[in-house]
Amino acid sequence: MTHDLLALLALLSPLVAAVVLFIIAPLRVRGAVSAALTIGATSVSLVASVLLAAARMFGATAPNVDLQLAWLPGGAQTLATVGVYVDPVAAPMMVVVALVALCVQVYSVGYLGHEPSRDRGRYFAYHALFAFSMLGLVMAPNLLQLFVCWELVGLASYLLIGYYWTKPSAGQAALKAFWVTKFADMGLMLGLMVLYVKTGGFDWNVPVGQALMTADAETIAGLFFLAVVGKSAQFPMHIWLPDAMEGPTPVSALLHAATMVAAGVYLIVRAYPIFMLAPTVLTVMVYLGAFTALFAAVVAVFQDDIKKVLAFSTCSQLGYMVAALGTGSMVSGYFHLTTHAFFKALLFLTAGSLIHAVHSNSLHDMGGLWAKMKPTGILLIIGSLALAGFPMTAGFFSKDLILEELLHAGHYLPLGAAILAAGLTAFYMTRVVMLSLFGAPSEAAEHAHESPAVMLAPMVLLAVLALAGGLLHGDFARMAGVEAAFHVTPVGVVATLVGFSGIGLGLWRFSPGRRTAIGTQWVSAPMRLLTWLTASKPVDVFFAGFYRQAMLRAAAGIAWFDRYIIDALINLSGWAVLRGAERFRELQTGQPTDYVYAVVGGLIVLTAMGVFTA
Amino acid sequence: MMHELTATLRPILATLPLLHIVVAAPFVGAMLLLFINDSRPTTVRVIGVVASAISMVASFAIAIAYDMAAGGVQMTSELALVPSLGINLSLGVDGWGVSLLILTGLIMFAGAWASWTVKTRGREFYLMLLVLVTGVFGVFVSLDLFVFFLFYEIAVLPMYLLIGIWGSSNKVADAGPFKFIWKLLDIGGKEYAAMKLTLMLLIGSALIVAAMAAMYIEAGSTSFDLRHLEKTRFSLGLQLWAFPALWVGFGTLAGIWPFHTWSPDGHASAPTAVSMLHAGVLMKLGAFGVMRIGMVLLPEGAREWAWLVGGVAAINILYGAFAAMAQKDLKYIIAYSSVSHMGVVMLGAATMTVNGWNGAVYQMFAHGLMTGLFFALVGLIYEQAHSRWIPDFGGFAKKQPYIAAFFTLGCLSSLGLPGLAGFVAEWLVFLGAWQSPHAWWAIIGLLGAWITAIYVLRATRRIFWGPAPDEKWTDIRDPRGTEWVALWMLGLALVLFGAVPSLILDFIDVTTVETLPRVANAALEVLR
Amino acid sequence: MIPVNGEVLQLLLILGAGLFALGLYGVLTRKNTIGLLIGLELMANAVNLNLVAFGRYHGGTDGQVFTLFTIALTVAEVAVGLALVILLHRSRRSTDLDAAADLHG
Repeated sequence: MTHDLLALLALLSPLVAAVVLFIIAPLRVRGAVSAALTIGATSVSLVASVLLAAARMFGATAPNVDLQLAWLPGGAQTLATVGVYVDPVAAPMMVVVALVALCVQVYSVGYLGHEPSRDRGRYFAYHALFAFSMLGLVMAPNLLQLFVCWELVGLASYLLIGYYWTKPSAGQAALKAFWVTKFADMGLMLGLMVLYVKTGGFDWNVPVGQALMTADAETIAGLFFLAVVGKSAQFPMHIWLPDAMEGPTPVSALLHAATMVAAGVYLIVRAYPIFMLAPTVLTVMVYLGAFTALFAAVVAVFQDDIKKVLAFSTCSQLGYMVAALGTGSMVSGYFHLTTHAFFKALLFLTAGSLIHAVHSNSLHDMGGLWAKMKPTGILLIIGSLALAGFPMTAGFFSKDLILEELLHAGHYLPLGAAILAAGLTAFYMTRVVMLSLFGAPSEAAEHAHESPAVMLAPMVLLAVLALAGGLLHGDFARMAGVEAAFHVTPVGVVATLVGFSGIGLGLWRFSPGRRTAIGTQWVSAPMRLLTWLTASKPVDVFFAGFYRQAMLRAAAGIAWFDRYIIDALINLSGWAVLRGAERFRELQTGQPTDYVYAVVGGLIVLTAMGVFTA
Repeated sequence: MMHELTATLRPILATLPLLHIVVAAPFVGAMLLLFINDSRPTTVRVIGVVASAISMVASFAIAIAYDMAAGGVQMTSELALVPSLGINLSLGVDGWGVSLLILTGLIMFAGAWASWTVKTRGREFYLMLLVLVTGVFGVFVSLDLFVFFLFYEIAVLPMYLLIGIWGSSNKVADAGPFKFIWKLLDIGGKEYAAMKLTLMLLIGSALIVAAMAAMYIEAGSTSFDLRHLEKTRFSLGLQLWAFPALWVGFGTLAGIWPFHTWSPDGHASAPTAVSMLHAGVLMKLGAFGVMRIGMVLLPEGAREWAWLVGGVAAINILYGAFAAMAQKDLKYIIAYSSVSHMGVVMLGAATMTVNGWNGAVYQMFAHGLMTGLFFALVGLIYEQAHSRWIPDFGGFAKKQPYIAAFFTLGCLSSLGLPGLAGFVAEWLVFLGAWQSPHAWWAIIGLLGAWITAIYVLRATRRIFWGPAPDEKWTDIRDPRGTEWVALWMLGLALVLFGAVPSLILDFIDVTTVETLPRVANAALEVLR
Repeated sequence: MIPVNGEVLQLLLILGAGLFALGLYGVLTRKNTIGLLIGLELMANAVNLNLVAFGRYHGGTDGQVFTLFTIALTVAEVAVGLALVILLHRSRRSTDLDAAADLHG
């Protein structure tokens, strides 16, 4: 009973904050009030989530919370319900969402301090909406509610990317993100339809082999996976994610790194009973995930915008998760999702701190910031180490688990790609650290100063989790019913060595001495070509071409057809009547004689008819 | 608790002639206006608003008084009009009727407020508007086919004057193989738009009359009562031609392809409140007619032609969406999006599944609210900017943050974002389509929703986002005073009915469950 | 009084028909309005002649009485017709029919 209340509290407090802020303008236009409401609501959610999770993890086994309300009627019965559902799978994700959201919101108070009050108010209202939607997604009792919230987080993403709406690039990025993910979401909708027709509901717990045949499961899982590709920015629909960096950096940390993009992975986790029935889809996931992991890591190496490096890194890490889930091991993917949320949020927040200091996203404008911003520097290094999978950090445990699962499942090619990607990850993160923190300070970096405590505190909390999050691995394993203790494996050792060499290579390549010698212009001509090829450019060009050449032309063609053929045919009928009338009016000459002729002619005809018929 | 409350209120409300009130209030208001001097515009407006408010409250009361557990047609009353022909003024309401009465009440009330700023001939404008809405209410509560048609025509005809007198003209460039037409017709002008709309709808009416007469005669020439006609098994021969006649006849008003072309020009030329009512409510009369008269009375015919109805609806969805994407005039975008969204209604109707029908009627409701909101917003923008040409716009959100917000809300409902009314409707329709024998309809529908996302959000960005607006847009501002009413009302309704769809969907489901088996069982008979 | 039997009637009818044809020819060919009126008058009188002839043939007085009425009416008609001609002449400076084709489509 208390747990029911806690679950409702966790979900509804951000909703109340959002509704209040959206409707009551006087509260919203005051940035501080808006921030306080949102942060307060998210804190409530966090406390409730922690209590709920604590009762379900670490060996405790509280019963599931399952509250459902009829939502849609259909044929005198209930078609769909909404409600809250907390089980050992949902609980940790709730904590992750609420925790990262809270950290980011607190950080935003400092980061957006200089923004006009009413804009900040809007910003926090969007955040409240996001927190509600994301928690609703995590706590969904069925896949339809998950989809509803899935779209709502997409809305929050659209609004937050477009936060700087006066910038044309922000507007375009917001639209791009929405269109691409919305296109992919058609897969989820179709999948739900198939699921409904086959099982009569939107539940993920399908009786195996009974209601759902393998072929149907393959269809459903394949369609769901399409949506995942869009939302979790897998190749080739990753194109929206780098552009999404137009939003404020805390937004990138929360939505486009830690939580929202992971919704796709969470969907797979949630619908795992269905995915387990679809071996083909799982194999596709392994290969596509590993490819994305490697591909995005390569692209990340060549980015000069610190946020873009992190964005492609997110793509890459999501690829790991998808590949892990494809091996049939829910735990490894889900665990990496959790640890990744901590260290990637941390990395984005530190990046935001650096950007805040030099007012530029470009790595060229940074350098030598170590001297000015030691705390941020340390936090950045911690985050980078965790991402690179440095031993005993959170990333080390989760990445190791994934590689092991790939090995066990016998996917050697994806395993190779993943190990290579791990090396590249270590390399590009070292590059970021070296270029931003060390070497000669750029002009902008001269005036840099450390961020305020309100920004540092959330980062410290995340850094602790990025370091210690690995300790949770046993608990995640237990969730799936396996008692897994960490142990050193050959593949883990290899991956760690590859990671070390990546770090080493990065340290050597971007050491302050070399950097001053050759600057950051280290990319030679053939490498430039590679950059262009591997950056999302070709895919981007393809989609843009499809939009301009196919969609807009089709639209113009149909609009023309409608106006100048269909409508013109209707007009033609009017024209024909008018023209015909013009012809017929000439019968009326106005000459009395003509009418007399007509009368006489008529008389003769009538007489003749009388004579002949008589 | 809600149920207990309604249960206690029901007997009290049952003593009131609610259906008569809902129909008569606007008509009495219109008659009162005849006696008001034109020089007192405020009195005119107050009468308009009060009359629509009475209807709106009455429509809510009807919803409370309607007993969902009992279902069927309720609150019936009868008054003989022409006994020798069996024509009676018999009124009654079913679940579909309840939901559409509420929609009409809401839109008309919002429209009455949105017309506050009509400058010329305000009295005649309100008069026409009230007469029109009398017809709309009448259609939704008529149980007599003849009276149904009578009210239908009352609703359609004032449109000619409303557009012809208070409308605005557009320029349409001459081109294409039929360029010569431009020499003779003022294409895009308001008189042209009014004329085209009226003529096309009247041709549709002629088809309706033909089908109606044939049904009346085959049912024994004794009664036009829908309940009587429902009991009649019409011969297959009659059904096979009468259903398409009704489909095209009513469908013209619902904007079915290729008889939709009155709609973009008509809506673009019409003044704000007229566009709101026309796209918001009147187009639903067409769809309601196809379902309530065509499909329910002629189930076998409907079954036989379902493939065509649904196929054309699928064309509507994609074609309307693409055509909207290419428009640069704001009102044309909304008008073409209506063509696309009405396709969703017809698609749902053609699926002949519970979810499809629920979705179809709910889409009428949701689209009515959404398009009403859209046209109210476009009216506000046009009043201030004196332009609807999107390429000239940009950065308006700086000066019109609330208009931008409400516009975005409308867009989101239009593209079927969950949490707003549009999603529920579209989802049910597509689910129904997937359950029907023509699963590909659902895919078309989904694609249509995606294309909608492209063009509505693109329009939003062009109009509202971007750097601060040009010098020439110094006059634009957020709404004030009476202009707020329509926006808040319809905006909140979109959210409310999207979050708690069962408020309306429960009513719809009652009638769907009762009438669908007629059509579903009919199929078997045809096959035998 | 000449008794009108079948033979005489036939002669009278032929005369009437000839008169009518003459009048019709005038109406159809004359451009001048006065000529047209005269043609009309001839046709009317041909009808009168037929009326009288049939009246005598049947032996009643109805024919004569009706003829008196029609003559009176024809007079009124001519009066109106001539008045129209005068008005036409005043406004068009011509009594030609072509000048009065205002009702053309």
